[in-house]
Amino acid sequence: MKKPYNLNWIKNIEVQRRATDWASKNLLDKPQLEAIKAQYQTHFYRPNFFVKIGLFLFAIIASAFFMGFISIFLTDSNITDRGFAMISFLFAGFFIFFLERQIKLLKFFHSGVDNALLYISIALLFVPLFLLFNDLKIWQYSLVLFILLSIATIRYADILTAAGSFLALFVTLANFLMNFSAGTLILPFAVMLMAACIYFAVRKNTGIYYADCCKIIEILSFAAFYLGGNYLIVREGNALLNNSVRPISLQIPFAPVFYLFTIVIPFAYIVTGVRKKDRILLNTGLLAMAFSMVSFGYYFSPFTTAQHIFVSGLALILFSAALIRYLHRPKLGISDEPEKRNIPDELKSILIAQTLGQDPETKGINFGGGNFGGGGAGEVY
Amino acid sequence: MNTQSILRDLVGKKIISESHASLILEYETAKPLSVHWELRYMLYTGILLFNSGLGMIIYENIDSIGHQAMIAAIALLTAACFYYAYQKSHPYSHDEILNSNKLQEYILLLGCVSFLALEGYLQFQYELFGSRYGIAVIIPTILFFVCAYRFDHRGVLSMAITGLASWLGLTIAPLSVVYGNNLTDLKILNSAIILGTLLTVTGWLSERLSIKKHFSSTYIFLGGNLAALAAISGLINQPYKVAYAVLSLAFCLFFVLNARRKQSHIFLLIGIIYAYITVTYLIFFRISENAYFSLMTVYLTVSSIGVIYFLLNFKKILGTAR
Repeated sequence: MKKPYNLNWIKNIEVQRRATDWASKNLLDKPQLEAIKAQYQTHFYRPNFFVKIGLFLFAIIASAFFMGFISIFLTDSNITDRGFAMISFLFAGFFIFFLERQIKLLKFFHSGVDNALLYISIALLFVPLFLLFNDLKIWQYSLVLFILLSIATIRYADILTAAGSFLALFVTLANFLMNFSAGTLILPFAVMLMAACIYFAVRKNTGIYYADCCKIIEILSFAAFYLGGNYLIVREGNALLNNSVRPISLQIPFAPVFYLFTIVIPFAYIVTGVRKKDRILLNTGLLAMAFSMVSFGYYFSPFTTAQHIFVSGLALILFSAALIRYLHRPKLGISDEPEKRNIPDELKSILIAQTLGQDPETKGINFGGGNFGGGGAGEVY
Repeated sequence: MNTQSILRDLVGKKIISESHASLILEYETAKPLSVHWELRYMLYTGILLFNSGLGMIIYENIDSIGHQAMIAAIALLTAACFYYAYQKSHPYSHDEILNSNKLQEYILLLGCVSFLALEGYLQFQYELFGSRYGIAVIIPTILFFVCAYRFDHRGVLSMAITGLASWLGLTIAPLSVVYGNNLTDLKILNSAIILGTLLTVTGWLSERLSIKKHFSSTYIFLGGNLAALAAISGLINQPYKVAYAVLSLAFCLFFVLNARRKQSHIFLLIGIIYAYITVTYLIFFRISENAYFSLMTVYLTVSSIGVIYFLLNFKKILGTAR
């Protein structure tokens, strides 16, 4: 099937990206880079990130109110659910047609407008399901959603639909297993097994068209594999599914297995990530490690919450500072070389103002910035 | 598609030679994995957690812990951080300073954060400043402004600006402006507009006079955002709608022009969104509710398409280079 986005241009983007990287490391000289840019042209309209957000936002508003306006003529007060569903499908068809045309005409490539049109079309196809069949089980709804999102991903290679279809599939699995008495027992293992299968299936793809989708699916399957075996998630999830209302949730069957998973998986991710120079695996491993510490701290910590936060903060500072000093020369295949990453300064100032900034409510008592706020002020004054 | 296939393609097109390609391939396979940003995020998260944890410990145990020891420990940490930051700093310059020391900026941030904790502790336990809260807020604010300029640190500048706003009873953190401030109060509203305008002018001047040019977007972003949102709130809630509308649109125009000058698209985005809200409100606030729905749908559809057209072509319309 022919793809809506020009495959050659996508390849050329990748070549240009790699060439620019090499040129910044002085592996290519300027005329060579120029030659590459001339030979590997792309004509996509690819706006800056913030412009993309604006385009997405206003495309959503425009399509929503366009539908509102047209609906004035198509509906009256005694319209049936079936009628609504038909109108919804009609709009979906129109938007998909419009999407395909705009991609051709304006050379969009995940530029905001095309994302918006795609998501709206999917919503318009999915929502009538609730009107037409209102007594299906959750797994049946999510299975339909999974199919819809997968088709959309195959055609448009959109990362959000890819992530959505992954999540829909896991909801389907979990809800389906709930129908059986042993369902909750095998659910963690089923989640881990499915995550592993998806990961190895996705790994096979080497085409550039789905490269970003594969990345997001990889991240999600690492996360699902870890969370499926995480002790905290399994124990609390189990309590939730059994509607237990104890203050402390019950111990789970096979607990030692889950202790082991919670400890081993993050280490395995980090070590493999460093050895294979796989950034995705490394970062997932670091986050998983943090979550493992939270998990064990939740049940077994000798500290209070405050002490826990303080100690882990201190440990993080010391650990990362030590590592930064240690890595002043590359060692063990890792380095502290700053790689170019464009985070606008405005975003940094939002982050710092939001997390460490002072707030008038604290009236000069600023313990812990945003997280603690003015909690104590009232008692003293 | 991987490194090898790209290189083979480039050799095939005679852009690079065979030996050059194998050189690049060698570099790619030998190149170490950079964990630069991972380490920075960990360090920053560590500072955040340390800060909140410390605050919570002090607050929870204010009656039971040894005050002198605690205060001495925090004071020592603060002093050590500032001393380190000073030792490793370069002399002041009007321009951006690229510090080769990898930890200095984070140590400075930690120092500022623990200074706040120290001051808060003293005020909480000993009422150092009594009920003159203003002094308690303005002291760290002044210190942070000095540090921001002396050590060339935009993060500390952001903290200083939030302190200044806080001194005036305002919240300036971009995501909290609307809910953090009681903008229905005319006094708060107007002081927000005045502070925002002053900060914006400071940002504009620092670029004009080439004094810490790279600070200007922090000033303009935090200040302008506060002022524009306050003006919109004034337009909706207060009389003298014309004045607030003009103010809001003036800020939006400034944002868009600023975006054009600096190629900074976040200013373009917020300028357009705020202008859209202002104009939409101006058009609709007098129309009766009967005609609302149909008119609204037409207007919003057409105008949104208009905005999309503008965003697609803003480079041509504004005549920017890129």
